[in-house]
Amino acid sequence: MPENISNKYDAVVIGGGIAGQETALNLADMDYKVLLVEKELSIGGKMIQLSKVFPTLDCAACITTPKMSETARHPNITLMLNTDVIETVKTNGHFDITLNIRPRYVDEALCTGCQQCEWVCPKVVEDSYNSNMVGRKAISIPFSLANPKIAAIDMEQCLHCKKCEKVCVPKAIDYNMQPKRVNVEATSVIVSTGFNLFKPKNKPQYGYGKYPNVIDAMQMDRLIAPTRPYNSLLRPGDGKVPDNIAYILCTGSRDSSIENAMGCSAECSNNPICSQICCMYSIKQAQLLMGALPLADITIYYMDIRAFGKGYEEFYQQAKSMGVNFIKGKVAKVTPKEDNSGNLILRYEDVATGKLKEVKHDLVVLSVGVLPNSGIVKTFTNQKLELDDQRFIKQVDELVSPSLTSIEGVFVAGTAAGPKDIPDSILSAGSAASEAASYIKRFSN
Amino acid sequence: MSHINPDFADDITKFGAKDFNLCFNCGNCTAVCSLSTNDATFPREMIRYSTLGLEDEIKSSLKPWLCYYCGECSSDCPRQANPGELMMSLRRWLTATYDWTGLSGLLYKHMSVYIGGMIALLAAVVGFIYYSGLSKEVVMHYGHLFEMFAIAGVFAVILLPNIIRMWYFTVIKPKVKAPIKVYFKALSELFVHMFTQKRFLGCEDTKENRTRWLLHFILVLSYLSLLFTTVFLDWFSTSSTFVIWLGYVESAAIFIITTVFMSMRVRKTDAMHKHSQPSDWFFVIWLFLMGITSFAVRLLIDLNLINTLFWVFTIHFTVLVQWALIIVPFGKWTHFLYRSFAMYFERIIGLNNQLKK
Repeated sequence: MPENISNKYDAVVIGGGIAGQETALNLADMDYKVLLVEKELSIGGKMIQLSKVFPTLDCAACITTPKMSETARHPNITLMLNTDVIETVKTNGHFDITLNIRPRYVDEALCTGCQQCEWVCPKVVEDSYNSNMVGRKAISIPFSLANPKIAAIDMEQCLHCKKCEKVCVPKAIDYNMQPKRVNVEATSVIVSTGFNLFKPKNKPQYGYGKYPNVIDAMQMDRLIAPTRPYNSLLRPGDGKVPDNIAYILCTGSRDSSIENAMGCSAECSNNPICSQICCMYSIKQAQLLMGALPLADITIYYMDIRAFGKGYEEFYQQAKSMGVNFIKGKVAKVTPKEDNSGNLILRYEDVATGKLKEVKHDLVVLSVGVLPNSGIVKTFTNQKLELDDQRFIKQVDELVSPSLTSIEGVFVAGTAAGPKDIPDSILSAGSAASEAASYIKRFSN
Repeated sequence: MSHINPDFADDITKFGAKDFNLCFNCGNCTAVCSLSTNDATFPREMIRYSTLGLEDEIKSSLKPWLCYYCGECSSDCPRQANPGELMMSLRRWLTATYDWTGLSGLLYKHMSVYIGGMIALLAAVVGFIYYSGLSKEVVMHYGHLFEMFAIAGVFAVILLPNIIRMWYFTVIKPKVKAPIKVYFKALSELFVHMFTQKRFLGCEDTKENRTRWLLHFILVLSYLSLLFTTVFLDWFSTSSTFVIWLGYVESAAIFIITTVFMSMRVRKTDAMHKHSQPSDWFFVIWLFLMGITSFAVRLLIDLNLINTLFWVFTIHFTVLVQWALIIVPFGKWTHFLYRSFAMYFERIIGLNNQLKK
């Protein structure tokens, strides 16, 4: 795809999640030429994995797939998938960007997305889209709602049996595809690299990875999504339908004790700040669970409920009136019940009464927090893209021009600058797009 | 009505508390604590009282003594508000509050007073030994007499009244009207905890905790039996081989174990040993000196060198006087009594509540 297109762009957007798509679309609609670089095989980011969004309970896919299609088909947007930024150098006011397109071993121009290859492939691998709870094939469409809908081979897992090659009608499969370096020139750069979820193994007190019925909230979002893995809501340990579900809020947020527990730094550092989304997504999941499992008890253990956005407090009150239990108290330990039932005991202090409690639940959901994903700063070599204290991209004029960064011409959009929910990410993307547009206009005059 | 002391937070900082007002009340510390039960939940409640300055509530509480400082609350605290160290500081503050003379508080808050007192006693001892014109035998005899009278005097004048005050603050003032038979029934609790520190084993069952308990247990037994050996069996003058060897073993155990404890404080190996206050250092160093100097004095007696190396006895006697007149009545030594009496009073309150039901 990229070779027959010019290598000059008004803007290069790094990261194709909701903020990146929004920025790209805004700029493209203003008739600027945009290159959208995405490291995954499909655009969509974290949002395409979600079930519903708060506080409206709209279907996440129904909102984000039209935007994905629009982004993929816009005449002014070029997509570059499976691509890493190698280096960005600012020279004479513009940016020279070196990109590396990793091979997907399927010709993007030829593949029709018919999935014949997927059916014949004998190798099953973990499906990361479904938080590794189920399998998919070593050659497959990345996930059902992927855009573009083009297959790719996981070459590390591939058995080289060539069954897919035989069955592929347009002859799109190419085992010899090589990584490709591309140099582009851009007037502006928008960093929309999003965030990482806290890895719950870094909070060993909660037993994630040790007890199968302790899952993280992204796994739960997959379990309640229409495209869910088991086609039913089952706990992963033994396939039982859970009827007493606990949520532990602030897992890996507002927590400065993580380095003590893990004896590490950097890759599992303390995260003293609020992630801003966990209260609301947990309340959202609780409401959805009440619909999916009408007999289940759902308890949310919280330190504070932060329902600060439009309609959020009402959403919280609605969950309460639906019968979700809210208990103030940080869970200190999760231990397995000793009868091999797979159930778990949560120990906490009920802060409202000052009583110590040990309570049984059959499924524990860890509401994991937002961590920065800012490795991109290393690729800015001749000027420094600065980070803030929490290692998010630093906003140099946070109150007045929130999308400005330490490099003139580089803008930040969405959660790359700090924890945000979806509406705020889109707002931030709009702001980045208009700042970038005005910069490009000034630059070209 | 609760009385609020707005200066309490500042005051407790002088006793070593740090960062406790970072607390956002999540209850993680209480839930992670293996010793916290529904009859006595801590440490969050104590942190809350401390930030609010509810001095009377803390004064009447036994909870600070129920904590054995395993440090899990501090390492797991999401705010790193140091709940374990706050409990430790409250124990120091309570020690100062129970003390009717007010000297404990002065010593805890001002290291200069502590050092000044130690130097004054050093001068007194040296003056007594070298300028009184008494013979070495008489001095050693007086040393032995001093030990007996110091124990009796300190107990009668300082410790007993302080324990009565503790009882008044924690049992009488909160209007616990327990019948006498409850006091007798609970008595076993006092001695079990005094001599075994059994409750410490309730902390999370780790190798470090078990070792720490065992070392502490041996240290307490050695200290108490050395006290008995020197005072009642007259170790320095006895001719019984058994008593001589007993004394050697006891004093050696003391200086060996205190060496281990000192190295833990220097290396800051665990939460408990991270924040040592001057009072902690004085306690462990003087206990070490007590062990090693008494060992040395008896060794010199056995080698018939005590008359030529009499300065060793002078050091021993100085350490003994400083220990008996400062550290025992006003320093960290009192935790030996307050902890076990706290367990005793807690049991009395518990039994009394059962009776009422």
